[in-house]
Amino acid sequence: MTLPVRAVIVAIVVALLAAVPSIAPAIIVQFGISALIMVTLAQSWNIIGGYTGYTAFGNSVFYGLGGYGTAVAMVQFHLPFAAGLALGAALAVVFALLLGLPVLRLRGQYFAIATLGLVGVMTAIVSNLDIAGSNSGLVLPLLKGDTLFYELALALALLTTLTVAWIARSRFGFGLIAIRENEEAAEVMGIDTTLHKVLAFMLSAVFSALAGGIHAYWITYIDPAGAFDVTLNVKMIIMVVFGGPGTVLGPVVGAVLLSAISEILAVNVTSFAGMFFGLVVVIAIVFMPRGLTDVMRRFREVGWRCFQENVRTYRV
Amino acid sequence: MAAILEVRNLTKRFQGLVAVNHLDFGLERGEILGLIGPNGSGKTTVINMISGTLEPSAGSVFFNGAPIDRLPAFRRARLGIGRTFQIMKPFPGLNVCDNVAVGALFGKAAGHQNLGAARVDAQHWLEFVELGGRADQRADALGGPDRKRLELARALAMRPELLLLDEVMSGLNPVEMEQVIGVIRRVRELGISILVIEHVMKIIRSLSDRLLVLRHGEKIAEGRPEAVLNDPQVVTAYLGRKRA
Amino acid sequence: MQLLWQILVNGVLLGGLYALMALGLALVWGVLRIVNLAHGAFIMLGAYVCYYLFAGLGLDPFAALPVAMLVMFTFGYLVQRGVLNLVVRAPMFDTLLITFGIDVLLTYFAQLAFTADFRAINPSYAGDNFELLGATVPLVRVAAFGVALLLTFGLWLLLMRTRVGRAIRAAAQNLVAARLYGVEPRNLYAVTFGLGTALAGAAGSLYGVVSQVSPYIGSSLTGKSFAIAIIGGLDNPLYVIVGGMVLGIVEALTALYIGPTYTDVASFGILVLVLIVRPKGLLGRTA
Repeated sequence: MTLPVRAVIVAIVVALLAAVPSIAPAIIVQFGISALIMVTLAQSWNIIGGYTGYTAFGNSVFYGLGGYGTAVAMVQFHLPFAAGLALGAALAVVFALLLGLPVLRLRGQYFAIATLGLVGVMTAIVSNLDIAGSNSGLVLPLLKGDTLFYELALALALLTTLTVAWIARSRFGFGLIAIRENEEAAEVMGIDTTLHKVLAFMLSAVFSALAGGIHAYWITYIDPAGAFDVTLNVKMIIMVVFGGPGTVLGPVVGAVLLSAISEILAVNVTSFAGMFFGLVVVIAIVFMPRGLTDVMRRFREVGWRCFQENVRTYRV
Repeated sequence: MAAILEVRNLTKRFQGLVAVNHLDFGLERGEILGLIGPNGSGKTTVINMISGTLEPSAGSVFFNGAPIDRLPAFRRARLGIGRTFQIMKPFPGLNVCDNVAVGALFGKAAGHQNLGAARVDAQHWLEFVELGGRADQRADALGGPDRKRLELARALAMRPELLLLDEVMSGLNPVEMEQVIGVIRRVRELGISILVIEHVMKIIRSLSDRLLVLRHGEKIAEGRPEAVLNDPQVVTAYLGRKRA
Repeated sequence: MQLLWQILVNGVLLGGLYALMALGLALVWGVLRIVNLAHGAFIMLGAYVCYYLFAGLGLDPFAALPVAMLVMFTFGYLVQRGVLNLVVRAPMFDTLLITFGIDVLLTYFAQLAFTADFRAINPSYAGDNFELLGATVPLVRVAAFGVALLLTFGLWLLLMRTRVGRAIRAAAQNLVAARLYGVEPRNLYAVTFGLGTALAGAAGSLYGVVSQVSPYIGSSLTGKSFAIAIIGGLDNPLYVIVGGMVLGIVEALTALYIGPTYTDVASFGILVLVLIVRPKGLLGRTA
């Protein structure tokens, strides 16, 4: 498919999506906002996790910083929403730079655990800050109507996806992929791995933060537990891993699917929904560790046996 | 002729073990220097210190007259030092052509900012190492000899001035070895200086302009192949006590 | 000065308990290379088992402790045998996700089964204190400390002096070689994980006595356990004690000089700092 044709298709899809608030019932619009925010988050994780190969749990921190930046700017300093978003994004980028440098030197599991630790630290620090409302959090001003949020979320999801598409065909993106595939070889081939990793981390931070800011303003509330929720990061990972890491559209598929499943579950009692979610994760990892696209590809070849093979490859 | 590489007093210690001990040598521009020695004599460690994968405990490395031992590996690569690995390190998820394209994008060539141009360049280097037909295959689907060619093509795509080859022949049968020797000779014809580590005596003897022999991290002989290989110390190092 | 001494005593006593918490995690991580994000949830379940034995059957918590350990051992054995064994050789990131899934499962299960109310295990002697050079020391905390040390030493003995322990250590170093000597990995892995959860169960029971239990205590305890395991390194259970002490004292000092709500900052902060500065662990090797 040539580029102009692809561009036209994208434009049509986007136009259709943008028209949703005027034609669909409120509940669909709300689902749309959630799903689009998830798409953004999935794509932002895709940059550091899917393309660079660094399993980060720190996107929860960026999301939280984005939300809190927005909230503090609007509630404590009475700044407009745009300023709040900018502040949130700036906080996240600076955090990614300063803490990314030391933490990205760590391998695999240590990097993951370090980022988990960062989430814990930030949650604890923020819950002690009065300006951020401590444990009670902050209540943001109310903006009536979902249309603005929907269009904003759509624009952000589009921007993030386009960025990932750019990465996929750029020299920078190639560098990230090389780092993911074999970091030592990438080094001796002339790739400045530190620069690449930190830049990827910072890009990832910007988008997660903007998503956090939009979400905070939309639900008019933020508190430490919700803002820095590790479960959200895990959902990002699941969306990307099952949609197809290191691809442009995989995370979109993963995000929409997971949002849909969450919606269906949300109707039920929270505890059961929670347990179901945990159960789904466990079963999915056991039978589909390489994701949906991988399973679909192999199902065509060997049928149900692909699940058996997955288990056999990774069992004791 | 100017020396493209000069190594002075190069030393590497690993927690009580001295892997490389006060090594001095030079590589002239356009020459092929063979680095040989029994197992464990420190050959790969020397290469690691030249490419930047390891930091020396003491001593210095000069490339085109300038000291490089404080530079990170990627900077050395951009200056024009390319290497292959003994335990190969392909990019498994990428296809063969893209593996080589990475070298074209980031090596000394780095005029390539464009994926398309890099891929064209990659194809050229694949043909050079006689791997052109496999451009679209996944790198981890290749067999042993083809992986070696891939390593070589990747390093060449960086347009190095100095190429470090670490045991590029291991695991090849005699026919395949002859083919790789041919490729290496063609690489030299491009004007690239080469430092080769190799075990197979016949190969290294015919390929190298000069030989450097290491034992326990120290140089025990250096010079033209005929002279070095008849040196009694070298014979003892490889065969044990000299037969009376 | 007096206050500082009191705080230090508190810190050391808490540290012993923390060390016990981290022990199970370190064991599973070092031997099975499984990074168990659900560890805190197992601690929490152990606490509930002990609570119900205490509240329901009137068992003294210290007598209920071995029972809780047995229950948790069995549970852990089944989890490993039935679920985790299936992904043991998968990339680390898969085991992270799957243990996260287990954590979610167990936490919501606890919420459903036990409600979100806080519980405390209050035996009759819960309020008893005694004096140690001017510091007031609750009896239960000393008892908990003692049990923690005992179990840690017990694990060390088990690993060093018994056949099972030797098999575990062999499998940790080189599974292929261990198999040649007749080690059966599926069972051994399950036993190891079961040991880890048994220790978590013990830690949970003690935690229930000195503090309160709810379904949500898991995640913060997992974080602390990681910090301790990383400080101490995964080689030797005895080093974990040091890690526990360090964390206990740092938390106590933080509570005193900065504020009690900052203790999580201290524990997670230490985790991140140690990883950045010395990922190999301050004392030993990490997996």
